[in-house]
Amino acid sequence: MEKLEKLKQELKKINAEAASVKDLPVEKRAEFGRKINAKKQEVLAKIAEVEKALVDVAAEPIDVTAWSGTNEALPGFYSTELGSKHPLMTELNRVVEIYQMMGFEVMESRQLDDEYHMFDSLNFAKEHPARDGYDTFRTEEGLIPPAHTSTMQHRALKKYKYKLEQGEPIAVVVPGRVYRNEDVDATHEHTFYQCEGIFVSETCTLGNMLGVLREFFERYYEQKLEIRTQPGYFPFTEPSVEFMIEKPKVLGGKKGDWLEMLGCGMIHPNVLKMAGIDPDKYHGFAWGGGIDRLVLLRYGLGDIRVFESGNLNFLREFN
Amino acid sequence: MRISLNWLRKFVDIKVSDDELVRLIGARLVEVEDVIDETHKYDKIYVVKVVEAEKIPDTHLTKCMIDCGRDELVQVMCGAPNVHEGMLAAWIAPGAVVPASVHEDAPFVIGTRKMLGKYDSHGMLAAADELDIGEDHEGIIEIDPEMAKAGDLLADVFELNDKILDIENKSLTHRPDCFGMIGFAREVSGILGQKFEYDFLRDGSLRPVVTGEAPSFDATLRLRRAVVTSESPQKVYSKLLPTITISDNTICPRLTVVVMEKHGEIKKKYLTYIDTVLAKSGMKPISPIVDATNYLMLLTGQPLHAYDYDKFVKVGKTDKAVLTVRLAKKGEELVLLDDTEVVLNENDIVITSNDVPVGLAGAKGGKSTMIDENTRNILLEVATFSLYNLRKTQMAHGIFSEAITRYTKGQPPYQTMTVAEKCAEMLSDGFKVAGMVDEYPNPEKQIVVKITTNEINDLLGTNYSTELITKTLGNVGFQINNDGNGLTVTVPEWRTDIHIPEDIIEEVGRLLGYDNIEPVLPPHYTAEKNKMFEMKRIIRDWMARYGANELLTYSFVSEQLLKKAGLDIKNSYRIVNSISPDLQLVRQSIVPSLLDKAYMNEKLPVDKFAIYEMNTVYRKELGFTDEKVPVEKKSLGFVVAERKNNETAYYKAKKYVAKLLEELNVVADYVPLKSNKSAEAKPFEAKRSAEIKVNGECVGVVGEFKNSVRNEFKLAPYAAGFEIDLDKVLTQMSHKKQINVKNRKTEDLTVTTDKNYAEALKDVQKKYPDAMIRPGTIYQAEGQKTRNITFHIEK
Repeated sequence: MEKLEKLKQELKKINAEAASVKDLPVEKRAEFGRKINAKKQEVLAKIAEVEKALVDVAAEPIDVTAWSGTNEALPGFYSTELGSKHPLMTELNRVVEIYQMMGFEVMESRQLDDEYHMFDSLNFAKEHPARDGYDTFRTEEGLIPPAHTSTMQHRALKKYKYKLEQGEPIAVVVPGRVYRNEDVDATHEHTFYQCEGIFVSETCTLGNMLGVLREFFERYYEQKLEIRTQPGYFPFTEPSVEFMIEKPKVLGGKKGDWLEMLGCGMIHPNVLKMAGIDPDKYHGFAWGGGIDRLVLLRYGLGDIRVFESGNLNFLREFN
Repeated sequence: MRISLNWLRKFVDIKVSDDELVRLIGARLVEVEDVIDETHKYDKIYVVKVVEAEKIPDTHLTKCMIDCGRDELVQVMCGAPNVHEGMLAAWIAPGAVVPASVHEDAPFVIGTRKMLGKYDSHGMLAAADELDIGEDHEGIIEIDPEMAKAGDLLADVFELNDKILDIENKSLTHRPDCFGMIGFAREVSGILGQKFEYDFLRDGSLRPVVTGEAPSFDATLRLRRAVVTSESPQKVYSKLLPTITISDNTICPRLTVVVMEKHGEIKKKYLTYIDTVLAKSGMKPISPIVDATNYLMLLTGQPLHAYDYDKFVKVGKTDKAVLTVRLAKKGEELVLLDDTEVVLNENDIVITSNDVPVGLAGAKGGKSTMIDENTRNILLEVATFSLYNLRKTQMAHGIFSEAITRYTKGQPPYQTMTVAEKCAEMLSDGFKVAGMVDEYPNPEKQIVVKITTNEINDLLGTNYSTELITKTLGNVGFQINNDGNGLTVTVPEWRTDIHIPEDIIEEVGRLLGYDNIEPVLPPHYTAEKNKMFEMKRIIRDWMARYGANELLTYSFVSEQLLKKAGLDIKNSYRIVNSISPDLQLVRQSIVPSLLDKAYMNEKLPVDKFAIYEMNTVYRKELGFTDEKVPVEKKSLGFVVAERKNNETAYYKAKKYVAKLLEELNVVADYVPLKSNKSAEAKPFEAKRSAEIKVNGECVGVVGEFKNSVRNEFKLAPYAAGFEIDLDKVLTQMSHKKQINVKNRKTEDLTVTTDKNYAEALKDVQKKYPDAMIRPGTIYQAEGQKTRNITFHIEK
């Protein structure tokens, strides 16, 4: 309290001093004004700090070991009707569950990573323009909030390499949050979710990759599906392919409607080599696709911005 | 990139329908973003002959009688100064749409109207801009009488009934060759299973320039022979020999320079096929010299730049051209063709005349040496540059020219000489070659890849024969030698993307169609569960059952948000290229983000809610892992808030966290929070918060927020929350759950005490060591120091 009084006195003094500006020659007034204002701001900040502390001092202690307040009823839970799960997380779980059934392990993606995992270990040449396509954010330290879940590929390969020695394939999916430096609009978010898949064995083929992906989408949409591909380009796969499915009936798909679902390809031998896997002996394939779009499609939503809005009028619809 | 199907057909015999072609290109080469149908863009536009042209005095108008191939002449008023009797012009007939406006919301339909109050004008004679084949609006276009006659449809003469493919450039990042029509056509040929015959390097005529027949060559311009027979790496032909220097061959692997002298007039009188190709490809005709360079770039993918030779020499104050390619000096300035002034940096490559910059290499030419109508001599530069430098130039100066788009894909050096010769050939009516230099000190090595048919089939999961593979690769210019032990594949010069066997496998798979590969499931095994993932699933189910709402909020927050929550912003990793100040710092915990959303929801208004988020957080104080990446924490943040409630919110939050931990079979103690110094505890009021302890370890904090924090977030008084460390909870989680099935008798016990609940409970537990004790109400009479605490005891 005393401290506050003192500061307020100081402020008064400064104000009085400020009033004396009119006694100064014109050319000195600006300089004087700047100085006095800086002083004033400093004191005001201190006052705000002290006042804040005073507000906090006013808090009454409570018995935190108890289960209810004195003379209050024991608190209850809110009713189940109010509860909800985030649709993106529900979808991510749905996707992962199918892959788990198909024998894939789950490894979650990091949210702050480095240049090595994001690019180098994935066979991106140093300073190659392909790196620009990812519009990455960067921290002062040069760390990268990853722009794709492939940032975990190198780790996953190293972690599960022992399986190859046991004669089993590496089969992992990596769900996670990724980031792109993009302006936000109805169809673009700087923050979104992906799920990566990785499979390595002695005998796997591009035909196996198409088989796994078709199987996944058939289970996901619970119907038989036609698939289609397009050549793609990713430095970390060779060949690289864009994977499409016919638009499923539940989404109102008609003959000739196609949905681009994900990018995929046979893992580049350099990527295997960097993880200590002999590319002459083993092949692999990998893919990555967005989760947000699956949710937009499932519920017929048109605006991706609702997901991170925290708006309960929207979220409680997903009870 | 825009690809005209009519132009494409000049190089490939396409027998499939347009739809099928587009499908195949999509499936086997590149994403086609759009097909722009221009098959009716030039409907009702005719070639006409101006039979009479009578100037109307004191106006800019001319009254024309035109022959449009019908019985009677038609009257059209024309404002162009170049209209004259006997010329062939393009006439937009009444009822036709002006081609430049077809893609507008309200296309402009030409009609018949009266001008100057008395002259009927039927339709209009068109300028290049109206036809969407140029920017010229000064005069109407004139058509070569050798190409057409009155009454012909303009579209038939110039093959304007076309479809244009809009190609997604991004999916061709690794294919510089496909940024020229020849390379694109080669791929289309390969996709269709046909051998690509056109060989620009060896026998390429400028077939597309004159439709139907090969152009006539000027014998003096057959440079190629002189070049091919010369053995010196620096090939010279001429009298006006420019001196060229490349400061560093890594920034400019090859430089071909041709000097051309004017010997006649290139009268640009008539609309040409090249004009239409430029227009359809998204460029505009400018002048014969510039058009030739642009056309060759569209054809071959190799950019060219033409300088005014005399201006070039003048800028450098030399007798002959002294051209140096070097890195720019920091702060050097250059005015570009489009009048923009750029301040160069040490990464930019510049073309200099006697060390004075005259062009930003690969990006844009300079104003000081620009070609104009008075240009007498030309200096033509055909070079390749480091894509890494140019990529930075592109970013630094925001230049996205057609040339730099091609260079940043990595144009290979093999064809600069040929392209330069072609350019000389195209300009031969007005210019003859006076000097030529080619600097190419380290020629690219031929790439040879060895592979077997089995390796190809093993990776693709196919059963392709050696013959099919050989033919498929041969169609697009690979040379294959089969020695019985495998295939030796010689990669053509233009394929900079092929280095390893997998690249060859991709070619085979792609050209034959991945869609023809049978999808087959591989054998699979059982997977282990990810415990963290499973635990989060349990938490989500539990939370929903008890009325809580799962939120996802951004990983990046503002300085202001952290300050409002009382956190130290220096403990956050900072994003240097964030989109907005709201997203500058990597968050340290979840609760501050939820407080922000709590305010938003109270305002909606939502009267009461429990919101939570499980996500990853980072704090600088946590340091780095063995992998040298920041240590991360999986955290669960939770906030409960009500707009109208006078009770103590703390107990609601505690109930949620306690029951949740019970669900996970984690036994926790709630002890008064001594200090809120840790990042996750900072928003909490120590006097009204508890530390959550499990086996002596702190796993989180539950409590109400500091008054100051609550004020900052403008929340109603009833607000509390918790933040727990999910990694720690997971290590404590167990699947053992003790269920006691014996019937218990319940009695209530009320103690009057000045102790807190936990201490009072201990006393009761001593008395009933085997009983299960649940909390009852707590009552305190007014003015009393002691409280009555009730326990439900089940024995």
